[in-house]
Amino acid sequence: MSLLAFNTVDRLDRPSAYYAGKNKRRRYNERDEEREREQEESTSKLNNATTLYVGNLSFYTTEEQIHELFAKCGEIKRLVMGLDRFNKTPCGFCFVEYYTHQDALDCLKYVGGTKLDERIIRTDLDPGFEEGRQYGRGKSGGQVRDEYREEYDPGRGGYGRAYDEQRQREEDEYGAGR
Amino acid sequence: MVIEAEEEEEEEEEGASAVTEVNDDDFDRRPQRRRYEEPLFVQVRRQLLTIAESAARRVEDDIMGVAKSVAENYDDEELRDTFVNISLELVLEQPMKIPFVAAITLVAYNLKAELGAEVLKKAGAALQKYIDSGSWREVKLLLRFFGGLQPLFEGDGVFPLLEELFARAVDLQTASSEDLLGLELVKIIQFTIPYVMVSPAIGFESQALALLEKTDIIASTPHALVDLVNTFSPDENKEASGPSVISLLQNQLQGEASAGWELKCLPRPWKGVQEIEKDEQDPNQKPFEPVNKVSFPEINVPNPVPNGTRPLFPEVYISVYANQEIDTVPPPSDITSLLLRDALVDTINLLDFNRVATAKFLIDVDCYFTPYTFVKRATPFDRMRDLAGEGQSWKPEDIAVDAVFSQLYQLPTPEHKLVYYHSVLTECCKIAPAAIAPSLGRAIRFLYNNLETMDLELSNRFLDWFAHHLSNFGFTWKWSEWVDDLDLPAIHPKLAFVHGALDKEIRLSFAQRIKGTLLEQYIPLITEGKEKDTPEFKYLSEMTPYSKEGQEIMQLIRKKAGDEEIQPVIASIEEQAQSLGVEDPKIPSTDALVTSICFVGSKSLSHVLSCIERNKDRLLAIGPVSERARCQIITSVMEYWSDQPGIAINIIDKLLNYTIISPLSVLEWALSESLDAGTVLAKSHIYEMISATVGKVTNRMRQIVAARTQSGLYEPQLSVLDETLARERVEMQTLFRFIEDAIVSVASGSNDELMERGDGSGDLPEDAIIRQWGRRWLRVFRRKGAVEEAFITDALANATPVGTAAPPAQTDAAEDAGDDGDIKIADADEQ
Repeated sequence: MSLLAFNTVDRLDRPSAYYAGKNKRRRYNERDEEREREQEESTSKLNNATTLYVGNLSFYTTEEQIHELFAKCGEIKRLVMGLDRFNKTPCGFCFVEYYTHQDALDCLKYVGGTKLDERIIRTDLDPGFEEGRQYGRGKSGGQVRDEYREEYDPGRGGYGRAYDEQRQREEDEYGAGR
Repeated sequence: MVIEAEEEEEEEEEGASAVTEVNDDDFDRRPQRRRYEEPLFVQVRRQLLTIAESAARRVEDDIMGVAKSVAENYDDEELRDTFVNISLELVLEQPMKIPFVAAITLVAYNLKAELGAEVLKKAGAALQKYIDSGSWREVKLLLRFFGGLQPLFEGDGVFPLLEELFARAVDLQTASSEDLLGLELVKIIQFTIPYVMVSPAIGFESQALALLEKTDIIASTPHALVDLVNTFSPDENKEASGPSVISLLQNQLQGEASAGWELKCLPRPWKGVQEIEKDEQDPNQKPFEPVNKVSFPEINVPNPVPNGTRPLFPEVYISVYANQEIDTVPPPSDITSLLLRDALVDTINLLDFNRVATAKFLIDVDCYFTPYTFVKRATPFDRMRDLAGEGQSWKPEDIAVDAVFSQLYQLPTPEHKLVYYHSVLTECCKIAPAAIAPSLGRAIRFLYNNLETMDLELSNRFLDWFAHHLSNFGFTWKWSEWVDDLDLPAIHPKLAFVHGALDKEIRLSFAQRIKGTLLEQYIPLITEGKEKDTPEFKYLSEMTPYSKEGQEIMQLIRKKAGDEEIQPVIASIEEQAQSLGVEDPKIPSTDALVTSICFVGSKSLSHVLSCIERNKDRLLAIGPVSERARCQIITSVMEYWSDQPGIAINIIDKLLNYTIISPLSVLEWALSESLDAGTVLAKSHIYEMISATVGKVTNRMRQIVAARTQSGLYEPQLSVLDETLARERVEMQTLFRFIEDAIVSVASGSNDELMERGDGSGDLPEDAIIRQWGRRWLRVFRRKGAVEEAFITDALANATPVGTAAPPAQTDAAEDAGDDGDIKIADADEQ
């Protein structure tokens, strides 16, 4: 309805810098024009996106809780929990698919950055779920961010796994040396 | 601080063009040098965008600064365009800044008439477009802007256009007593007048008064629909049901007219500028009375005027701070109440794409009105007592929170999804917790204390918001306040609220966590069953009839057995039931099947969905054979999850999508089978389930209407869609009639079960409460029914009539529109 060319404050329903950056990094070495064209294409994939990637969930947050919050933006068509690819247990992310693009945008605006299960969650527009994407891509099966995290996060399995292993090793070696 | 901000701004400006180069100089370790030169248009852009935002700067200086920069560099096209565009964008997106933008335009006109004329030209073009598309809020904002520029115009300036709008309103009102567009036009006229009167123009009192005398007839006549959208039904609470906004505003304006248009909350930033100007220039010159005035832009108001996409309803004024021992917000008799409300509500609804910015504007509301309108931020309620009295000022936080609640409580529906308004309140609390939290506390108290008479739709919105809000703030609430209410009967609206709120909190979290946030007295409300992830499977007990078969079915479903294995067990139950003389043997077999599905699928929603999916055909076959068995599907789900009704209604929702159960069967289950003398009406999850079910039907109806009314549609598709629409419309009406018939007896106390309660006198204290629940339910669903009927009628009024054949050249379009009568749903708005 608005005739405005641009908004006087930023919009919260844009794809994140992560999405744009991911595509940029990938084609760092390609020819400029091609790069530009593909970047446009990758953003246009989101023009009718009805799916959201949801991050920073606690490992203990259930589908029902996610449903309860996200249904406030519209009926949910599908909810895919992110799983540890070895244990098949929740690993702190999910995909929420709505019936309409508008519902997905509204979710970015109204739910992204608010709390679920007492954690600030992150939402990002996503071109759509594909089989395989529900699994963590980290070395030990979970999300990459949970490999090297140096902070203790009780909702996400304590310390990062790789970091924790290294810490354990160092502690053991130190003990053995004494 | 300021320097940092400038740097950021510059980065942002460059960002767009330099996206691909950002990483190129990874190896360039030279210290970043400060860049001092910023293009002028960037500087002006920032100054303009942030006008009046800082209490630390004199806004007059910024007004002068911007106008001068642009006027002195009139040849800089980029600068000029930036100035003109951003001025209008601010008018249309940040209404609280309109008086300041108008002041800049006034000064700019004074310094360089061509520049001012450019703004006027563009604003005029925008106004025309918005009138043509029926975007009345935008029209209101642009007229407000023009009103602030009144001294620039020849003759009566903005008044003739207001008169013309009034003439249209009269036409509309004369044509139909149900007309709402005319009321909207009157509202626009009313809200424009104050801004004309605080402009530097003088001598327009008689025009304003003449206009007000005219609007009085329309504004003061009560509209039939006002009662329908009132926060409190006049039947339940005559005193609390508020007046319509236009009738209230009419009185306020008449009061202002007789008090010389004091309008003490509205800023007059041009006055400060005038002072500066006087110092610098000839003291006798009147800065805002230009010698060469311009004519008001030529605006054509179509007849009849169109309405935009949003259906109109009357608005009522509601404040969650009414009847406090000390007033913290302006009373409805003071025009300050509506002027602030109007500007805040528009800000909230226009900026839904950035709730953080919205919250910031709400917190900063005191920057945009006269300083003496408000007390200092975060003034405690108790301190307000000392400040009360003549020339009282108001609490900015309360005014901000009040405005958000007015939208959360908008009937029949607010402009945006309810969760948007939740998120604005959350952000406000994040920005200024110490200031906002106590205001929210008093709002909650008001709403809680008025639960009994409040519109039922709204008390459920309150419930939903309350639980969601607490979930963002560690579930902390002063439960001690309501301890005494725990002794009320379970069906009392207050205790029903507490029950409902705790259930909703649990749904967003988990029972044990919520238990930990409660006082001891509340612990019994969190039953043992609520803490169980997997409710018991009743067939495990040998006391349950058909327990052996129930267990067998459960095992078969667990190992994903095929139909050929399940069927014999089902048949065995039915045979036994038959021999026991059970009237409908399908009922016990359905119970065993559905309870087993619930149990096996209890791990998560996707588990239960895949169980349903695997047994879909069997489930789908139940309804057509036996209506009562179909009802049993619902009973089994609701019983299995009786301690966690949130999960139950979620499953019911999915079963509706699969058409395993029908909307009518859900209504029958709740309002007939489970009515329980009407006490079921006190359960918030039942209301939620019925609303969701009805919502599903009305949404579908609206999609069909959208398909039927899309342009470029011809025969034979027109007739096909028309038939679908007629059929579905009848079904929708059946649903509403069912609700009406089921509840009307509860509301009137003539329900059989209700009459048999206690001594049968119908005089038990609880009987009165039950009747009240009945009346409140009726009100909500009668309104929903009326709104949907009105929507369909309105939409069809402009639809291509049935029988219209495609013009020869456009056959392609018709074919596109839908083959084989398939309903093509083009972007049907979920509203």
